[in-house]
Amino acid sequence: MSGLLEVSNVVAGYGDGPAILDGANLSVQPGKVHCIIGPNGAGKSTLLKTIVGMLKIRQGSVTFKGESLKGKRPDQILRRGICFVPQERALFPKMTVRENLRMGGFSLADKSKLEKRIDEIEERFPILGERRDQHAGTMSGGQQQTLAMARTLILKPEIVMLDEPSLGLAPKIVKEVFSIMRLMADEGITILLVEQNALMGLKHADWGVVLDLGRTLFEGPAAEVLTDPRIQELYLGGKKAA
Amino acid sequence: MAEVIQILILGMALGGVYALMGSGLSLVFGVMRIVNLAHPVLIMAGAYVAYWAARLYGLDPLLTLPIAAIILAATGVILYKLVFEREARSAKYSEMTVLLTFALAMVLEGALGTAFTNTQRVTSPDYATDAFFIGDIFIPKGQLYAGIVSLAIISALALFLKYSRFGYAIRATTQNREAAELLGVNVNFVGLVSFAIGIGLAGAAGSLVSFVFSFFPAKHWEWIAVLMSLVVLGGMGSIFGTVLASFILAVIAAFIGAYFGATWSTLTFFVALFVVLLVRPQGIFGEKPELA
Repeated sequence: MSGLLEVSNVVAGYGDGPAILDGANLSVQPGKVHCIIGPNGAGKSTLLKTIVGMLKIRQGSVTFKGESLKGKRPDQILRRGICFVPQERALFPKMTVRENLRMGGFSLADKSKLEKRIDEIEERFPILGERRDQHAGTMSGGQQQTLAMARTLILKPEIVMLDEPSLGLAPKIVKEVFSIMRLMADEGITILLVEQNALMGLKHADWGVVLDLGRTLFEGPAAEVLTDPRIQELYLGGKKAA
Repeated sequence: MAEVIQILILGMALGGVYALMGSGLSLVFGVMRIVNLAHPVLIMAGAYVAYWAARLYGLDPLLTLPIAAIILAATGVILYKLVFEREARSAKYSEMTVLLTFALAMVLEGALGTAFTNTQRVTSPDYATDAFFIGDIFIPKGQLYAGIVSLAIISALALFLKYSRFGYAIRATTQNREAAELLGVNVNFVGLVSFAIGIGLAGAAGSLVSFVFSFFPAKHWEWIAVLMSLVVLGGMGSIFGTVLASFILAVIAAFIGAYFGATWSTLTFFVALFVVLLVRPQGIFGEKPELA
């Protein structure tokens, strides 16, 4: 079955440097949470950056709803309905929360529609409404992550890609971040999650993809990947998943 | 007391002109990370536009200001395309631009010298040598008008950056280029337009400079340290910081000039540059540099 987003034998890397992705494959099914796991340097973040047009596809193809994304700029890919929240959360620290939300809808031409959507977001995430005039850079890590994820909803995207949303956050906050992700998935948004903490990522996902040395090793239902002996051995340090 | 107020007024009026001269430099650095050492020579070019418009057509430099701004902005587009665009994604971009703009400054100085000679010039509208008197205090009309026009332009720029859609794109690109790109901003276009606006501001500042100071092509070397001290004290890339630094340093320089002589007044900017780089390299509003 052809997926919403198809990555086929993609080779990509940074500038003229060596290829980080060396034949990566991925088939993203609509409405599911997909978690990409793998050791450091496996190419997980590189894969997301390649999909979103930040890195050039040297070989292979990436298609969204059958349309090739090869050679397209990030702003063009965004307009097709794919949002990306990188590790650093990609906020504008000296802009207020409200201004950051406005930037989330930068590609919307209708200003009144944008303001309406921001109001909706502030209703759903009251902390953002309470802090609308606060500079994003002065918020806590968890609040910043909430803002970065909520901001993607302004465009009503089809796919949201999250690169290590739990990075640097306290366990209690991580729980909140994953509950926001689940909320998005429940609304029908397809999630592509990269998570260094494989156990946690797979627990919150429907589908697991294992990447190593820039290639897709295998994939399957998250529960099965979680208990797969190869994963236990290679990525979870041999511990049994709780 | 009257003497202190007098010096303060003169310093504030000059501060307004410095603010406009420095804000274009700050904008270009903030968005594009270009350390534009050619900014002062482009101000000189703007001054020549005003000078020749006044001499050939009798136009007031305040009326020529938009023309100088547009001509210089167009020059900015050409320079950006020719010199800066290709290397914009290089990791060493800022360092490269120091050398590139240094070379550009030499070339432009040579071109201006060839075209207009190195004779000192100044435009002389009536108000440039006139003053308002309030009791014992006098306010030179030329400096006052230049300061007011500068602040009006900077205020318009601030409103544009704060409220317009393109202003959002410029601010976003300044703060986080990659994030701006991910949210749909065409950062290359933003870079081009910001550079053009920055150089356009140099043109506008040049029109004001043409009747506040005498000028000739090689004079831009004197201005480099002055402008650098403004943007470094304000915080590289912070336009508000540059404006604040302009007023602070212009007033200090006015007091030093009044009490110790004009020669020492210029030293204010050099000392400020030196001290800020030693004590607080990020300036008032800049971000602390990350340790490598």
